[in-house]
Amino acid sequence: MKVGLFITCLVDLVRPNIGFAALKLLEDAGCEVIVPASQTCCGQPGYNSGARDIAKTLAKKVLAEFKDCDYVVAPSGSCSGQMKLHVVEDLFKGEPEEAEFRALAAKWYELSDFLVNVLKSEKLAGKFKGTVTYHDSCAGLRELGIKTQPRALLETSGCTLNEMQDAEKCCGFGGTFSIKLGEISTRMAENKCVNIGVAGADAVVGGDLGCLLNIEGRLRRNGDMKTKVYHFAEVVAGMTE
Amino acid sequence: MSARENILARIRGQTGKSGATSEGELAAVHAHIARHLRGPLPSFAMHDPQEHFVKECGRLSTTLTEVADLADVPREVARYIAAQSLQPRCVGWQEFSTLDWQSAGIQFDNRATKPDDMIGLTGCFCAIGETGTLLLLGASARPKTTALLPETHICIVKKSRIVPTMEDAFALMRNEIGEPPRATFFVSGPSRTADIEQTIVIGAHGPYRVHVILVP
Amino acid sequence: MQVQSMHFKQTASTKLNDAVLQKALKKSKSKFVDGRALGVAEVDNWEDIRTYAAALRDRVIDNLDAYLIEFERNAIRRGAQVHWAETAEEANAIVLGIAQKNAVKTITKSKSMVTEEIALNGTLIGAGIRVMETDLGEYILQLADEAPSHIVAPAVHKSKEQVAELFMNAHHKPRLTDIPSMTREAREQLRSHFLGADMGISGANFIVAETGTTLTVTNEGNADLVTTLPRIHCVVTGIEKVIPTMEDFATLIRLLPRSAIGQSIVNYLTLTTGVKAPDESDGPEQMHIVLVDAGRTKLVGSDMKDMLRCIRCGACMNHCPVYQNVGGHAYGWVYPGPMGSVLTPTYVGIENAGDLPNAATFCGECQVVCPVKIPLPDLMRKWRERQFDMKLRPFGERAAISLWGFFVQRPRLYALATRIGARVASMMGGEQKLIHSLPGIDGWTQGRDMPAPAGETFRELYAAKSAAKQVAR
Repeated sequence: MKVGLFITCLVDLVRPNIGFAALKLLEDAGCEVIVPASQTCCGQPGYNSGARDIAKTLAKKVLAEFKDCDYVVAPSGSCSGQMKLHVVEDLFKGEPEEAEFRALAAKWYELSDFLVNVLKSEKLAGKFKGTVTYHDSCAGLRELGIKTQPRALLETSGCTLNEMQDAEKCCGFGGTFSIKLGEISTRMAENKCVNIGVAGADAVVGGDLGCLLNIEGRLRRNGDMKTKVYHFAEVVAGMTE
Repeated sequence: MSARENILARIRGQTGKSGATSEGELAAVHAHIARHLRGPLPSFAMHDPQEHFVKECGRLSTTLTEVADLADVPREVARYIAAQSLQPRCVGWQEFSTLDWQSAGIQFDNRATKPDDMIGLTGCFCAIGETGTLLLLGASARPKTTALLPETHICIVKKSRIVPTMEDAFALMRNEIGEPPRATFFVSGPSRTADIEQTIVIGAHGPYRVHVILVP
Repeated sequence: MQVQSMHFKQTASTKLNDAVLQKALKKSKSKFVDGRALGVAEVDNWEDIRTYAAALRDRVIDNLDAYLIEFERNAIRRGAQVHWAETAEEANAIVLGIAQKNAVKTITKSKSMVTEEIALNGTLIGAGIRVMETDLGEYILQLADEAPSHIVAPAVHKSKEQVAELFMNAHHKPRLTDIPSMTREAREQLRSHFLGADMGISGANFIVAETGTTLTVTNEGNADLVTTLPRIHCVVTGIEKVIPTMEDFATLIRLLPRSAIGQSIVNYLTLTTGVKAPDESDGPEQMHIVLVDAGRTKLVGSDMKDMLRCIRCGACMNHCPVYQNVGGHAYGWVYPGPMGSVLTPTYVGIENAGDLPNAATFCGECQVVCPVKIPLPDLMRKWRERQFDMKLRPFGERAAISLWGFFVQRPRLYALATRIGARVASMMGGEQKLIHSLPGIDGWTQGRDMPAPAGETFRELYAAKSAAKQVAR
């Protein structure tokens, strides 16, 4: 099974460990993993800033890079939503490329969804002995229905889940929103941190690095150096150190 | 060109239609309206309407009693009025003026409602099981203000006139009287507001109390 | 209402630090959000009803001219007079004309957002007519000389202490402390206005083509009094409010109060059709219906036409994380939250409301809760596309996107840039691996640290690993 691994621009730049954790999880399950060297970004930052043409160019680039894979997997609900939903339902709707993008969308999976529902992975390398609280990222949750999959993986790898209040509430990241309207974004992150604090877990875990950077940034600014912030792939692959 | 013509022309232009609205398009609208299509209903709307009506009235803070005969209404009204410590005087719709109010000790007036009337007594065209709602149709002998201005509204509901849904109420209205009269209104419990700190307070501008008397 | 939407960012900043408002928003959030969830959970086929409702609204919007003509014909047949207004000014002139022609001295109003849009009260009061808002929330705001901050709960931003203060000063009575007493006092104050008014002005939640009926939905019963007691009733409503039949109303009313506050039904559904008969003791002698465009036809047939399905329940704002933190006034015009971020630029111009479509994380909650399935994030994004195409966003922002766009389309150059960027930023992070401030993204670093990059990009590490593997083989 030839699985293309889509590395998000944030993972590439800020936290490559998440990419290697995803790679390990796929390889441990016996996948032949392809990582196209030319990949850069799914185009969502442009799309959500109104730069439709740039978003379309990048979507075509992603298509060319991954169209020969049996599956494509991304450690992000946000980029997956872009490729599974927005590219077909909006950017290329009614255009000649629509069918090709639909085919790509059909074989594109968010990582936890792929591990649980396609690979049905049960043996995971992770052995995290501690409590975690899970933040549901908006795009994964509302565009793709990612809710139970990462939790199932975390529990399989030994985590105890302490659910926080309003786990489904936006953390305030929102891509460029976090900079353009930083004050509101910060307040939303603060609300999230309060709920994380009440849940009282060793680590807060999520599925999108953007949200994780936002949450971690606020926790640290508040002086909380203790609560760990992980992508679920890192926990489940046993790569938290 | 008038504002009307400009607005209609803009709508036509925006939807890519040329010329004025055609007879054919209007006929299509008539045909669609005439079908009176009903939308999907939640399963609780199909429950026994009388049973559901009683349950929903409870949720709306509408109080409810049942009498064996229309002739028993004055006595029930007297009981209710005494229980609420109100004056035994009410203004009500004409159709109830022939009941024996005198022996129940109540002064019943059939006239236009005045601002200081404390109790208003009405019937209803029908009631709706799904939501515990009363449908009142205003008419010269059935002024709407009777149900609106007094602090207490007593409504007499024939059990056989409790229909399952609002769609059924509209169908009944069409069958029996045709078009909706000028004042058609649905009452679901006493008036309320939550405009100060989202705290629900019963008795905003309409009645503080709605009391239903079910009759056969 | 005067447009203040261009000041969104600054106003939002003030509102984030307004303790009274923050308390009010927290309280209302739980009522609205939890209330809706409970109300919706009772309906086992909620999604089917939503889908049906969206389609029935679309049918009207796609044939709006024909449905308006049919509504007008039936309303006139039942004795109403129908007026058409292209602009806010025209609508105001029509209502004022009706009032002056009939020597109207006092007017009672039930809540109407369209009259907020066109700033009708100002026109009428300016002509020497006394206008009383009768919805309790609107009445409070009239006393405070403030605009509504929410389309369903207009005074949601006010504390009971603030209301007590307003009532004490306006009613010349001792200060009250509990909410039921305040409500009772307002009722008593407003009674005489209801009884003495020459004209009643209401909005309409819907207008029904089949019968020429206008329809209002209230819990207080004020719309019933406004439409019944005065000798003239004037309805001011948007042209998009038309629905085909009473059955369609039955469908929509299953969605509206549940979406708004979780109620299965509202206390009063008021249907008014025409004028009183000679032998009736109540009801108006004249009924006027003013159909207002004021920007709506711009949406008809456009790529934002879905917005016209809106039934004004307020669920999108109640669930919006931005609204929940800044409240309605920050949005600077009549409609707050996601629906406002689509409508305000349409009605007052994108150049006056440029931040609104950007005041969203696209979390998608609004779209999920919308009873008529309006894709609000997509519509806000369409505004962002227009802003980008029209070069309406600040230079720095546009330059950043263009620069980013240049690099991401050129993988080799991008690899080089990110390698340098990752190293520089990693060094800036120091021992704690946290960047405390970074020019260009100070919107972020003012309230948060930026976790520093690891130092090497995934792609370079992966390439190195692959090369090592090759050598090993």
